[in-house]
Amino acid sequence: MSAITAPTDTRPPGAPAPAGQADKPAGKAGKAGMSTMKKVLLGLGGSYLLGLVFFIAVFGFKPHKSLQVLHNTFTPTDEFKLSTWFSAGPIDFNKGVLYVLIAAVLTLWILFYVAKRLKQRPGRLQTAVEMFYGLTESMTNDSLHDNKLQKKYFPLIATLFIFILVSNMIGYIPLPIDTLEKFKVFGAHIPSFQIYAADTNVAFPLILSLLVFCLFTWERLKAQHGPIGFLKSLMPSGITGPIKPLIFVIEILSYFLRLISLTVRLWANLLAGHMLIAFMGGELGVLVGDPWVQWLLLPIGLAIFAFEAVLIAGLQAFIFSILTAIYLGDAVSSH
Amino acid sequence: MPVAAHIPIASSGSFLITPNVGLMIWVLVVFIVVFLVLRKWVFPLIGQALDARALTISSDIDAAEKLRIDADAVLAEYRQRLVEARAQADEIISRARVAGDAHQKEAIETARAERERLLEQTRRDVEAETRRAIDEIRSEVAALTVLATEKVTRKVLTGEDHKRLVEEALRELDFSALGGGDN
Repeated sequence: MSAITAPTDTRPPGAPAPAGQADKPAGKAGKAGMSTMKKVLLGLGGSYLLGLVFFIAVFGFKPHKSLQVLHNTFTPTDEFKLSTWFSAGPIDFNKGVLYVLIAAVLTLWILFYVAKRLKQRPGRLQTAVEMFYGLTESMTNDSLHDNKLQKKYFPLIATLFIFILVSNMIGYIPLPIDTLEKFKVFGAHIPSFQIYAADTNVAFPLILSLLVFCLFTWERLKAQHGPIGFLKSLMPSGITGPIKPLIFVIEILSYFLRLISLTVRLWANLLAGHMLIAFMGGELGVLVGDPWVQWLLLPIGLAIFAFEAVLIAGLQAFIFSILTAIYLGDAVSSH
Repeated sequence: MPVAAHIPIASSGSFLITPNVGLMIWVLVVFIVVFLVLRKWVFPLIGQALDARALTISSDIDAAEKLRIDADAVLAEYRQRLVEARAQADEIISRARVAGDAHQKEAIETARAERERLLEQTRRDVEAETRRAIDEIRSEVAALTVLATEKVTRKVLTGEDHKRLVEEALRELDFSALGGGDN
């Protein structure tokens, strides 16, 4: 997102900001008797069309590519690069680490805040936390039928859910963390604002998936009393004949692909979502050099942003944690 | 529309699919810390609170059920009493009506007897007064008769004369009109 303004600022000085443009006519638009919603929609639509006409009139259809684009030095994916801010021995600190730490602090703060103020009649935040607790508890109990295992793995599944959810949600808040692109404020070089999530880097989901994979493999080994039983348990019952080795290979592959699927599902969804928001929110316009393209695609970018923030963030956290529960349940109940 | 001939999307994008080991270690450490803290201090608190609420709700439901049963019993008793009260009220009304009728009849009889008694009393009083008046008139007539006789005969009458004259005069008088036809 930072690349929208960083490579080239095609908007002339004094040009109204998109939000300002959208707001002003919204108040004047409409006639007596129109509902407020209709007036606002008409105002926004009118502003959008006016903005489009404005950018075409001022800049025309001639591309205004920035030097970085012309010299092929602007790469939209660079905003997902983890540049080291500082190192403490072998430990690097970058924006990915910052987001992981923010997610951890926020997760702990929210849950501690609620846990220390639990009331008989819950407020909104307590209700949300209780819903999360109930959801993860029921998904654990549905997958793991042994009471001991439920108690053992519920904290892990619940922590996975809330930690990934918070990581995803903070990924939609623009923060000044893009150190590759900076802007000046009173002479100070401030990193550009960017929406970034730690799980857009494959390392985040991969390590969590590895953790889950190791755990359910360990549980299966325990449940099947060793590697032989483990391998036998992967074979579906009732298969005989020459197809057996083929099925065995497929089952082994599918077992190990769980690691890949867990990782890629979360990572690709988050990365693709952030890239789509960035592209539709302006980067495509920067690449083609047409300010009107930026303006044209902005509503699509906003719609994708809303879709990702409202649906995908929670859905991916839910899928990751429920798959963990299912894999663990499968590990202890397979024969 | 001059669309860019090529868009350098991932000219150096291999970092996207290359896991950053440093970040992996950070995520693992931070996640384990968060997990341990939540498991130790947060989840038990929330679990206890939810269990306590479930218990409260369960006991509230039981209490509400008991209350409902009690209320049903009270309502049935109340209805029974209402039916009894209505029956009693009907009985009281009917008894009051009967008593009222009897009282009214008695009052009418009493009033009638009193009227008869008063009429009789009045009649007796009138008779007595009439008798007394007749006696007075008789005395007056006797006195006048004696006086008139003395003036006519110019002599003083004796007691025997008086008595004879009065009786003669009274015999000639008709007192039937004064006595209402009875004398």
